Amino acid sequence: MRRTDDVYVVGCGMHPFGRDESVTGMDMAERAVRGALADAGVAWEDVGYASGGSDVSGKPDTLVGRLGLTGVPFVNVQNGCATGASTVLTVANALRAGEASIGLAVGFDKHERGAFHVSASRYGLGDWYAETGMMLTTQFFALKTRRYLYEHGISERALAMVAVRAFRNGSNHPLAWRRKPLTEQEVLDSAEVSPPLTQYMFCSPGQGAAALVLALGDRAFDLCERPVRLASLALRTRRFGSFEVFSPWLPPGPHRSPSVDAAEAVFRTAGLRPADVQVAQLQDTDSGSELIHLAETGLCGHGEQEELLACGDTDPAGRIPVNTDGGCLAGGEPVGASGLRQFHEVVRQLQGRAPGVQVPGAPRVGFTHVYGAPGISACSVLTV
Amino acid sequence: MTSRLIDESLFDGESGRGDGERPGAGDPPRLVGARCSACGTVVFPRQDSCPRCADGAMSVRVLPASGRVWSWTLQAFPPKPPYRTPPGGHRAYHVGYVDLGEVLVEARLAVPRAEIRIGLPVRLTTVTAYQDEDGTEVLTFAFAPDRDGGR
Repeated sequence: MRRTDDVYVVGCGMHPFGRDESVTGMDMAERAVRGALADAGVAWEDVGYASGGSDVSGKPDTLVGRLGLTGVPFVNVQNGCATGASTVLTVANALRAGEASIGLAVGFDKHERGAFHVSASRYGLGDWYAETGMMLTTQFFALKTRRYLYEHGISERALAMVAVRAFRNGSNHPLAWRRKPLTEQEVLDSAEVSPPLTQYMFCSPGQGAAALVLALGDRAFDLCERPVRLASLALRTRRFGSFEVFSPWLPPGPHRSPSVDAAEAVFRTAGLRPADVQVAQLQDTDSGSELIHLAETGLCGHGEQEELLACGDTDPAGRIPVNTDGGCLAGGEPVGASGLRQFHEVVRQLQGRAPGVQVPGAPRVGFTHVYGAPGISACSVLTV
Repeated sequence: MTSRLIDESLFDGESGRGDGERPGAGDPPRLVGARCSACGTVVFPRQDSCPRCADGAMSVRVLPASGRVWSWTLQAFPPKPPYRTPPGGHRAYHVGYVDLGEVLVEARLAVPRAEIRIGLPVRLTTVTAYQDEDGTEVLTFAFAPDRDGGR
């Protein structure tokens, strides 16, 4: 493949995740963008194409009022948990199509506390579904996890191990929200939310922002000492039979997730295998989801997760380091920013300048994965 | 005390409204979905097009009244509105999917914690979801342990 056609990440910026009443979503987005521009060593005037996403915190393209009215094309994206990946996809495709040589992707959100507010009619469902107390994402994750543990002979302890690793990684990461390490027992003994999932096995809606500067081909190497190649990126929606949130019914099975399709597509396009991955980000809205995604993306086989976790294979120094920044569990999930946080962490790991614990041995292949309602997944492979 | 079903479109209008003479009178009303004439997919609630294929016509399908718990969990905290709190306030309740053979249906599970497990035989019933302002009990569907369903 010719280098001139490839898209690279040449800069990244992030506003710390968590809770900070002194800043708005737009404030955080602006800081993340300025951080990414400075990291890439370019000015806002150099950006020829932009895309931004936010679920609840405003129209991203209004950021031009703060950054500079350069007339740049700016596409707004609202694609649930795949919002961040969709902004990267939008910019990368524009660069490949010759629209510009430098582009910017930004995502941000600031959510209120507690479970997300939902509207039955927005999902094409009758009011009865929410009124009778069945329209909760937390229930869905618990129901899916319960069934998965049952089918694959995994214990509830494995769920605690996921959370323990997430909070340990978060405790070492300056941009994470939850920085207090917890023991397995503390996770298991925390408040029962929806069994088998306890309070500390769930992430919380929080706030944050992240941004990437992307550049095409040779330009990337002019700008950046160690550009990270976007080897592949795929976005998929659900097909018949996938087990999704807010489903009053399911077919008897088999239940195949869009994560499987998206992961297969990115590895095929990149010409790599899941076994080649040296640092990974997996959507971990809850411990159960990460367990399931480990196997759905091909990073391990179904039912192998518990042993993998017990051996420390998913720790930063392990065979497949997962969520080295603590993921959603330690960072919270500002929907629009969460996917770009994943890119930020993997890029910094591949460049050997992780903000938290650096994966040893100069990793060369990174992987990101998001999954969300109503049955959407995006994966990417990043290489140096 | 008067009562009503939360949404008539979920239920079979013919069942459970016996006059005391027809068989099945007094049983809870059956759930009604739809079945695709081409691929056989059964959906709940009913809808006019098939989510799997473009070929079939959807016809009304009264769903089986008994099945087995396929997955379950508990709703510990009171959900935000539009959840309607039942009379007497929120109490933790079980929800799950029930395997009815041709379709898995998500439902409230009127099953005690000590009994609940994947594979438990259950049977259709109703529970009070909330009360209208005039005191009318609003009923929704649920599944409870099926004492005869052990097989």
